[in-house]
Amino acid sequence: MHLEKIDDYRWLIPRTYKAGMLTDALVYASEPLLEAIRRDQSLEQAANVAMLPGIVGRALAMPDIHQGYGFPIGGVAAVDEQDGVVSPGGVGFDINCGVRLLSSNLTLKEVRPKLRDLVQQLFRDVPTGIGQSSRLNISDNDLNRVLEKGPQWALEHDMGSEADLDHTEERGCIAGADPHAVSARAKQRGKPQLATLGSGNHFLEVQYVDEIFHEKAATEHNLSKESIVVLIHTGSRGLGHQVCTDFVAQLDQAMRRYGLHLPDRQLACAPIHSPEGQRYLQAMAAAANFAWTNRQLITHAVRGAFKRIFDETVRLPVIYDVAHNIAKLETHSVNGKKRRVLVHRKGATRAFPEQPVFIPGSMGTASYFLLGQETALRETFGTACHGAGRVLSRSAAKKGVTAKEIQKELESRGIIVQSLTREGLTEEKPEAYKDIETVVDVVHGAGLASRVARLRPIGVVKG
Amino acid sequence: MFELLEHTSDVGIRATGDTREEALISASQGLVSILVDPAPFRPLEERYFKASGPDETAQIINWLNEILFFFDTEALVFVQFEIDIWTAGEITGRARGERFDAGRHEFRTAVKAATYHQFESHPAPDGWEIRVFVDV
Repeated sequence: MHLEKIDDYRWLIPRTYKAGMLTDALVYASEPLLEAIRRDQSLEQAANVAMLPGIVGRALAMPDIHQGYGFPIGGVAAVDEQDGVVSPGGVGFDINCGVRLLSSNLTLKEVRPKLRDLVQQLFRDVPTGIGQSSRLNISDNDLNRVLEKGPQWALEHDMGSEADLDHTEERGCIAGADPHAVSARAKQRGKPQLATLGSGNHFLEVQYVDEIFHEKAATEHNLSKESIVVLIHTGSRGLGHQVCTDFVAQLDQAMRRYGLHLPDRQLACAPIHSPEGQRYLQAMAAAANFAWTNRQLITHAVRGAFKRIFDETVRLPVIYDVAHNIAKLETHSVNGKKRRVLVHRKGATRAFPEQPVFIPGSMGTASYFLLGQETALRETFGTACHGAGRVLSRSAAKKGVTAKEIQKELESRGIIVQSLTREGLTEEKPEAYKDIETVVDVVHGAGLASRVARLRPIGVVKG
Repeated sequence: MFELLEHTSDVGIRATGDTREEALISASQGLVSILVDPAPFRPLEERYFKASGPDETAQIINWLNEILFFFDTEALVFVQFEIDIWTAGEITGRARGERFDAGRHEFRTAVKAATYHQFESHPAPDGWEIRVFVDV
């Protein structure tokens, strides 16, 4: 594929690239990153996204883009609220997979001597939920409340504070969520998994502030050099997976009725204002609220674990909680005109001006805390990237290395890891992902979000 | 027979059999092998599978999603599959397995769903072939 270079960070796939594209696709990448991106089908998938009916502006690809199912991971598409379509594949199976960052009143020096105990306590208190149930055991009524109200439910049960909600995107609740739009099967899958971390690339990390790039912003967000933070990366678990599965099947059928055609069945979509489209958005909002509650309940467990290992004076306030698999109705300025659009962010983070943006690196490497910038609002519907992006397949990552070796190597660098599975270590080894520094360089260099602090892990808990 | 196909974030299953039914059973076994090491599981409990859909693709994907549903809801891992009837509208059948026990069993990778992405199901020179990618 021939890409038109705009500048060092921007590359264009013109709409003339293939029939059916309704707009250009813009890729944010540096030359070396582009080389990695070209190895899979993600650019072809970005071109397919440009075919979504009602798409407004350009289809966008973030620097961590990699091949997904239909939609690329790291893909963004805004569609007109009136004439556009909603695509569950443009949100992903893990609805409102996202990242929450907690600051603390602890320092690296204080935590280091008790680190092993802390990691073990976290591993005990935050279940992965794999082949085991959550300890919550909530009623069907409570589950419906979670789906409708999000973490407000946790507050009512003394597992969070108003301040937590104030520092959560949408205060953890997308309006219009309807528990009745969520199938019984989705509820059955999700109920035993509320307050669990999951596996795969989901994790919980104890980190410290390694470097500060913007002193004022760091101070405002309660970060100082060598202060301890906790990063939580998880989503809506089986509930969200089932909502996506249900609606891909339903919309796949509805598409034929609405005369819509797309090159990949996994891109199944329906007009936003169709009954099917509305139903999906109600169910997606409910799943998103479930995910925010999940991260809130995990936060509560993390606070308990820290207090057990240290003392009651430990404070772990939420810096921010942001979704990276979601579709949201927002107002954006497009060619000087205000437009109401549904922004699909699949493996991409909202990055409104001054809003915290978290870009976790692979296990054992750095994560970044950035703030969204005006350029993002102008160019990407207020969006930046969400991670490093895989480069190695899972089987390639596993080759020639054992879980023990990875654990030992990380320990030699002062990082203690507790993982439920061997695969959790080998498949997610640092080399399986792009270099976080190069990805963040593009986001910062292109002006989508600006660097505030680099965070380094010392403790990792994962499924 | 099945083999796992992988590139970057994708995990796929290429399953073959003398018949379409056998290929689907192989695909089912392939999916289980992504979730866990299937060797120590015994066929102790049985569940009915019902996978309806407007076409063969949707039916096969829904069948495979039954495996994920029972794993999430009852921690059941299946090692034996039987297809009773495959009509134009649905597949009905049974699966037997046992509950996952972290003390005795090895969990591998969580699977979110079987997808339509690059799906194939067609006659092959030695019977039938199904190719399906799952989101992990």
